[in-house]
Parts: sequence; C-alpha cells; structure tokens
Amino acid sequence: MTFFTIICKNLLRRRTRSLLTIAGIAIGIGAVVALASLAWGFETSWVRTYTARGTDMIVTKVTSQSPIPAPFAQERVRDLKALPHVVQASGLLTDLISIEDAPTVLVFGWEANTFLWEHLKLVNGRWPANDEEPVVVLGSVAADMMNKTVGSSVQIETGTFKICGIFESSALAENGAVIMRLPQMQRVTEQDGKVNFINLKLAPGTTQQQIEELRQAIKMQLTGFKAFTASEVAQNNSAIQVAKAMSWATSGIALFVGAIGVMNTVLMSVFERLHEIGILLAIGWRRSRILRMVLYESIMLGVAGGILGSVLGTVTVKLLERTPLLHGKIEGEFSVFLFALALIISIGLGALGGLYPAIRGSRMHPSEALRYE
Amino acid sequence: MTESGVGRQTAGVLVEARDLRRTFDEGRVEALRGINFTINEGEFVAIQGPSGSGKSTLLQLLGALDAPTAGVLHFRGNSFDLLGDMAAFRARTVGFIFQSFHLLPTLSAIENVQIPMFEMPWPAQERRRRAKSLLEAVGLGDRLDHLPPKLSGGERQRVAIARSLANEPALLLADEPTGNLDSVSATRIMDLLEKIQSERGMTLVVVTHDAAVARYARRVLQMLDGKIVADGSPARPPM
Repeated sequence: MTFFTIICKNLLRRRTRSLLTIAGIAIGIGAVVALASLAWGFETSWVRTYTARGTDMIVTKVTSQSPIPAPFAQERVRDLKALPHVVQASGLLTDLISIEDAPTVLVFGWEANTFLWEHLKLVNGRWPANDEEPVVVLGSVAADMMNKTVGSSVQIETGTFKICGIFESSALAENGAVIMRLPQMQRVTEQDGKVNFINLKLAPGTTQQQIEELRQAIKMQLTGFKAFTASEVAQNNSAIQVAKAMSWATSGIALFVGAIGVMNTVLMSVFERLHEIGILLAIGWRRSRILRMVLYESIMLGVAGGILGSVLGTVTVKLLERTPLLHGKIEGEFSVFLFALALIISIGLGALGGLYPAIRGSRMHPSEALRYE
Repeated sequence: MTESGVGRQTAGVLVEARDLRRTFDEGRVEALRGINFTINEGEFVAIQGPSGSGKSTLLQLLGALDAPTAGVLHFRGNSFDLLGDMAAFRARTVGFIFQSFHLLPTLSAIENVQIPMFEMPWPAQERRRRAKSLLEAVGLGDRLDHLPPKLSGGERQRVAIARSLANEPALLLADEPTGNLDSVSATRIMDLLEKIQSERGMTLVVVTHDAAVARYARRVLQMLDGKIVADGSPARPPM
C-alpha cells in the first residue's frame, strides 16, 4: 500500500459526491477549453487571413483599435513600394456591411492583379473581368449563408452586384466574406481614391531586424501610420481582444464556482473524517502528512475534472462547429498548450479548493479529534 | 538530580512523572492532581480506577497526545517538552491500543497495520512484509485483506494490536483494550498482550476499570479522583 492508495480509497468512499465534484470542475474546465479555443481560433483565423494572402506586413492609419481602420489616400501604396525589402504593396478597402437579410459581412475591395488573389480557389464561376464590371465573388460560407449562387444578384448598400464566382480560402474570415474589385468597393462605400489597409509582401529571407528597420522607416515616412506583422494585427484587433476578454471572464466565473465546489466537497469530507484524522495523528502521522493527504485528494479531484473538462470542451466546440447556424463561422484552436493550461488550472483549482480544508484537518488536536465519532 | 530534564539518565527507568497535573475548563476541572510514579523498561503496569479517576487522561499524557498543565514527565531521562517532534515520538516510540479499536474502515487489515509505518523509511514492499508478519503473530494470517467491518470485535482488536507494534515501539499503551469485547474475546486479547509483552520485552501500560484485566499486570497503579492511591501488586481474587 502506498500513500496514493489511501488517497484513492478516501475518494472512492463517497463515489457519488466525488463524481459530482469532478463533474462540476469538468464544466468549469470545459468552459475554459471551449471559450479559449474559440477565442484563439478567432485570432488564428485573422492571422491566417493575412498569411494565406502572403502578406508579411499590414500598414494602417493609427486611429482607434477598431477592427476596421479609417480610410486614407490610395497614393500611400505607391510610397511604400519604394521602401527596401518591399516586393509588392497592395491597397485594399474593407468594411463590415449588412447585406440583405444576412448579418454583418466582411466586404473587401481588392486591387486587380495583386498577390492577394493568388491564394483563393475558385470553386464555381469566374473572377471579375475588369474594374468597371459590377460583380462580386463570394466565399463559400457567405454564399451558403446568403443562399446565393453564381448568376444571382446581391444588394450591397446602394449598389446591385451580380455574383460571378464562388471561392474557397484557407482563412475562415475570407470564406464568409464578399470580395470585389477596389474601384467598385470605393464607389459603393463612397470612399473614392481611398483604402484602409496596405498589405506588403517582403523579399524572401527578410530578417527580423530588417522588418524592424522597415517598420521604423514607415513610421518616419508616413506620419500617423503604423506597420504591423500579421500576428500583431490580430493581437491589436479590438474584436479579438473583446472575444478573449469575454472568454477569460466567463471562464473565471466557471472556475470560481468550480473552486467553491471543490472546497465544499473536501471540507465536508474532512469534517466527516475528523475521527480518522485523530487516529492518524495519534498513531504518529505528522500534520504535514495529513495536510498533503487532504490536498492531494482535492488535487486529484481537480485533475480528474480537468481531463474530463478538456474532453467536454473539445467535443462541445466540435459539435458547435458542425451546427448549421455556426458552420464556417467559428473554429476552435486546440493545442498542447491549451490542454496543458487546462490541466495546470485544474490542479490549481484543486489545490485552492483543498487548501483550507487541509489546513483545518491538519491543525486538529489528536486527542480532540479522537473524540469525534 | 537536575531539574532541566536534559540528559538525565536513570538506568532502567522508561517514564517518570513528578507532580503531574492536568486541568480542563480553565482550571475548574482537575483531572490529575499531582501524580508521581516511575515505570521501568520492560514493565507491565495496569492503571486501574473507576470512570473519571483520570486514568485515560494520564494515558494520553504518557502517549504525548496531550500535554500536562503542570509537573514534569520524563521519557528515558528526557523531559517530554524537549523531545521535539511529538508526532515523530508517537510514531517511533509509542504504540496505541484503543477501546474502540480505531481502525480505518476503508482499509483492509494489512493496510491498517501499515498506516504507522509511513513515518518510517521503509519501502512499500517492506511495509507489507512487516504488516503480514505482525498479523500472523496475532493470529490473523488468514484475514489480511478483510475490511474491519467484516471482522469480529476480537479480530479488530488484534489488528489494532498488530498496528500498535508496527514501528517496534518501546512503550505500548492500551486504553480499556477489552472494554468493547465479550469475556472470551477479552481473555484472548489479554493473553495475547501478556505474551507480546513478555516475548518482546516491551513496556506495557494498560488502563482499565476491570480488576480481572489489571490482574494480568505485574504492578497496578490504583487511581481515584485524579490521584494515585495505591501502587503495588495486583490484588488476587479470593480463592
């Protein structure tokens, strides 16, 4: 028999109570796993929106942290093309627009013949032929959502556009988006001659130091502008920040409830076993061993809840991804880091919930504890 | 004789009590009122007295489960106050046998016997081997994996006796060891304790209100109202 055997037997004594506590922790950890994976997935899909296009850097005007920065003159694109390490610069205009009955959709206006288009895969129809043609291409998810096919029309703000093609992208955000040529977008949003993002493609092998030098050069040359790498854009995006903050706030509440549950269970179990703790103290167990016994019991509850919660959170996100309402709009990102984090949190939860009962139990006076029956 | 109690070696004396007092309820209840005695190594002593005479309180002081309010208690010439870690003292030097057995209900007989051994530097295999050997010595070799609720009262007390011997203590303390047993089981338990005491040469102190139990001892301390009123050989039953 090992110390671990005693801990397991103690937990198995009240199986239903232990299982209910594990279930409580599992719900808390499940919420953490699900919400964090969705928030990170959201961030990753934004990063992928840029990386899939082959964009190394994004230049915007420094305004607020709004997901859609303020527009600026298209001439700035030319200025940036002249900078060292920049292979291509492409201006684009983006906005979130409510289209017909569909909720808000990302609408892009892209310059013709730039690297932005290269990663898209046309699954139906054709690409826009010229800047004057009032046509759009729809991401596959957007087409599903709006119930549109090639040849049908779509009303965007005051303009009517024909759908000439449907595409797929490796970036979730683009699959749910509408793309048109830049002049068409400038016309429909009444932003003639303006863009709100410049995507830069850098020379292969550009070092981190060269990127930093370029960033400084942009800052010096274009007052009020800032250059970000793809991952920085995602990190600075207020929508992503809100999603992350909400996920952590909700997780925090779930974890707090979980910790209270653990404490309640372990405290009850300690009070029920005061007599036994008295026996252990009487026959020579040190207080530190009693403390460890109770603490390990509660940590084991936490670990079991953490493992179950990780499975629960993953399954929930996978099911949500498949529901018709959310299909293509959400994407959970699961990593070793996330599961390690869930496990660390669950160990912490168990330790936190068990600490007070463990201290209470270990501080009992043996002769007093022996009197409890 | 020094008063410090440190390094004060008295040959053969295991425990010495001088003017030992223990009060409860802020001095309103006097459980022990100035106790003086010595117990030698290898002695079998019974502390006999009626309920409330203070005998169990005295046993708790001897086993370092409680501390005296006043007076001095020495173990092998050293004051209890200076022995340091009381838990370690209880684990390595004292073996307890209780009236209500006090076994852990979820652990089997062999597991219960191993509980005190966690304080010794023995690996799991060694703990099991020792526990098995002790249970065989108390006649429970065929009950190793039984849970306490599946054992009779006498068998449970045998497990408790085996547990008390787990760390080879110098002092065995038994508090009404036959109090919850029928007369047949009580006789068997006392026979077993007597045998263990004589074979292992350990010091055994039994607290009892029962004269029949006290007669097993070589020496009886009679207690009444928190004082030792007689110290001598056990009274023999009338022929």
